[in-house]
Amino acid sequence: MATTDAAAVKRRPRPLSPHLSIYRLTMTMAMSIAHRITGAGLYVGVLLLAWFLIAASTDATTFGVFSAFIESIIGRLVLFGSTWALFHHLIGGIRHFVWDAGYGMDAPLRDQLAWATLVGGFALTIVVWAIGYAVR
Amino acid sequence: MANDSDGLRTPLGRVRFLGAARNGTGEAWLMHVTSLALIPLTLYFVWLVLDLLHMDYNGVREELGRPLPAILLLAFIIAGAVHMELGMRSIIVDYVHGRSRAWALAANTCFCALLALACVYAALRIGFT
Repeated sequence: MATTDAAAVKRRPRPLSPHLSIYRLTMTMAMSIAHRITGAGLYVGVLLLAWFLIAASTDATTFGVFSAFIESIIGRLVLFGSTWALFHHLIGGIRHFVWDAGYGMDAPLRDQLAWATLVGGFALTIVVWAIGYAVR
Repeated sequence: MANDSDGLRTPLGRVRFLGAARNGTGEAWLMHVTSLALIPLTLYFVWLVLDLLHMDYNGVREELGRPLPAILLLAFIIAGAVHMELGMRSIIVDYVHGRSRAWALAANTCFCALLALACVYAALRIGFT
């Protein structure tokens, strides 16, 4: 009798709690995953810094190889992407500090903060690259 | 009653220091401290990169050999390495299950430690040679 009960329990699917695929995507959700993705991107992007420092500590020829890469189209794209990820992640982190302090969690403001992360990340990236090209 | 012997203990008192959540607070704290430190350090780092951008090999070495850029760069590297170790750890704990989680966590720690050591070694070598 106990075995038939166990079989009956097995046949009936267990209730599941709603997960990501159930909910409509909101701006705060999108920026949450963007924070994680940019963080993971920077985890790899920081290798550029290591390469730069090791090259600068070795000799002019090794440094030249790094310089040639960073000045190439691919190098510039990687650096541009890393700049954006850095600023996006930086502003996202500040947004988390605002939330940790207990502010900005109400309906309009939390979405505005999420939008500010997205817009601010691109804006700072463009400003810094404009400065980079202007001071040459 | 099962809890007669604990009659005077609160539910919190009975579970305190027993559960798994013993070092979670330390990790969260360290994540917040490195985050806070990285706000000014990142802004300085971007400033430094803009400064170095159009310098040649000797100019870069001279700039990174000065005390202030060197010290702030070292601080950026160390805070960054701890921060990325903790961040990747939370990603691994969320998505990697079973035995491979231990390997992933170990690989993460080793990668971040090696990266930090390589950067610190190179930065000091620029300053001292």
